[in-house]
Amino acid sequence: MWPGVLLIAPALTAIALLYALPLLRSLITAFVGEDGHPTLGNLAKALEFYGADIVYSILVALGSLALIAFVSIAIAGYLTLGQSRWAVPLLRWIYRWPLFIPFIVAGQTARSFLARNGVLNTLLTDVGLVDAATATSLLDWRGLVLTFAWKQIPFVTLLLAGAMASLDRSTIEAARNLGAGRLRCLIEIVLPQVRPQLLVALVLSLVTIMSVLSVPVMLISGNPTMMTAMMAHRVTFYGDYAVANALGLFSYLLTAVAAWAYLRMSLREKSN
Amino acid sequence: MGTEALSLEEVSIRLGQSLILDGISLQVPAGSFTCLLGPSGCGKTTLLRAIAGFAPLSAGDITVGGRSISNLAPEARQTAMVFQSYALWPHMTVAGNLTYPLKLRGLSKVERDRRAEAILSLLGLEGYGPRAVISLSGGQRQRVALGRALIIDPPLLLLDEPLSNLDASIRRSLRGELRRLQQKVGITTIMVTHDQDEALAMADRIVLMRQGRIVQVASPEALYSAPADLEVAHFLGVDNVVDLRPGDPVAAGGALAGFRTADARVFTGEAPAGLDAVLVRAGTVTACAYAGGSYHVSIDLSDQAGNESLSGASGAALSALSSVPVAPGTRARLSVPAPMLMSFGADSRLLQGIRQ
Repeated sequence: MWPGVLLIAPALTAIALLYALPLLRSLITAFVGEDGHPTLGNLAKALEFYGADIVYSILVALGSLALIAFVSIAIAGYLTLGQSRWAVPLLRWIYRWPLFIPFIVAGQTARSFLARNGVLNTLLTDVGLVDAATATSLLDWRGLVLTFAWKQIPFVTLLLAGAMASLDRSTIEAARNLGAGRLRCLIEIVLPQVRPQLLVALVLSLVTIMSVLSVPVMLISGNPTMMTAMMAHRVTFYGDYAVANALGLFSYLLTAVAAWAYLRMSLREKSN
Repeated sequence: MGTEALSLEEVSIRLGQSLILDGISLQVPAGSFTCLLGPSGCGKTTLLRAIAGFAPLSAGDITVGGRSISNLAPEARQTAMVFQSYALWPHMTVAGNLTYPLKLRGLSKVERDRRAEAILSLLGLEGYGPRAVISLSGGQRQRVALGRALIIDPPLLLLDEPLSNLDASIRRSLRGELRRLQQKVGITTIMVTHDQDEALAMADRIVLMRQGRIVQVASPEALYSAPADLEVAHFLGVDNVVDLRPGDPVAAGGALAGFRTADARVFTGEAPAGLDAVLVRAGTVTACAYAGGSYHVSIDLSDQAGNESLSGASGAALSALSSVPVAPGTRARLSVPAPMLMSFGADSRLLQGIRQ
């Protein structure tokens, strides 16, 4: 037994010191008052001050995930079922680019693209879809949803297209042979078979969205904003780790609920 | 919908530089069972996929019941295909798999369930509807795949090596079952196989393919007794080829004779009586193995003067059956009755098949 423990000891120590311990500390800090006694005051304060931000974060995350899922399914589906000799290779080549661009660059790009006088509004004005006088900035929840989606779609598509490519191709051909068009084939034959991989990719994307600081800081001025921005605010301006950690607790809870829902679903599928 | 005749006219498929199918023309009568037979890489599966719409044609036309289907998408062709891997949808139940094609055609739930019940009883799978397909055995999956294809009452049934993933015993029983089912439903069927026994046992007509072309179209009996050339003969189990000598009991003009091991006998002593119309060769026994019921004996002719191979194509090693074991090294003679000999010209084309 001991040689085995020795072998995993470095990894275990790293996890314990770098991950488990800080997590535990931050959780405990969230329940300790200034006087050093256990309290729920931090949680109450976090809810009172930042309740709107928590709701806002949840809605932005859900909106982003919905957009990510829709676009990723469309791209991966086209990569799998598309027949064009040039469009499929081109799309396969181009869709991964945002993967290699950091969030902070994506945030900066989104600022200049989505602002009131940004590239998007200029283009829309030029083609006559938007009147320059009434053009509005998209640097609000819409900007967040678009930026998160732009960054995460390649990641989800990568996992999804890989899963679709490893499906037994004949299950797709059988469906088409028996009368299913390509869209029905995607929705009724391909998608149900790759659902576990889609859910994993979305849960991982949720964790990423809940932990990105640069994008909300760069895109959103004022309230409400994402929880990460408010946690940073609480720490940098007030040095108040207790309330920041209490806010962090809601982040954990949110991702934990998603992970739990996914695990439950995959267990139920296994038992069938 | 009813069954329909299929017609292929000069069908060619080119992939890059290579010609996968080269001017295939074939008429398949309505209600017949046709086997596409040939070695792997001969294009038989590609031809089946071309009919289903998964391999675009470079030239030629495919018609079903007189209507061209060459330019239709696979889903519009109404050809029902059974895949080698069965291709059942793992996220659906047995009934779900069977009724999905009907759902695509907009049938009501009541009607779908009624037809699924009918198909399940036709396949001997009553009560299997709610089961998950992954819980089925290979033979059961194969039957569900067949049922899923038949449930739409297609004009044409395409089978891509449907039995090749099954155990030998299940394969044999399903062979007969599939044939009976085909005759009962009366559907035009095209099956791809590389197994000659399967083709001979099931088909009305066998289409033998080689290197993207049709070499021979014949009934099983005709193909078995009169293969078009030596290569076809070899594919159909004619495993012995000898150079002919003056006095051999075959048609004039032949250069080579072929026969099956099961038709040849080995004897070591004096020639049995009444051996007029027999081809005889002498040689040394090199191997003897029990083959169930008799012994499979290999004989090497090369040490004997006058047995030098003329063409080089015909080996000097032959094989035959013996009712008793023969020790390797023994001098022995091999005989083949004249009616069981096939003679081939120097160009390896058939001159005379088996006479029965």
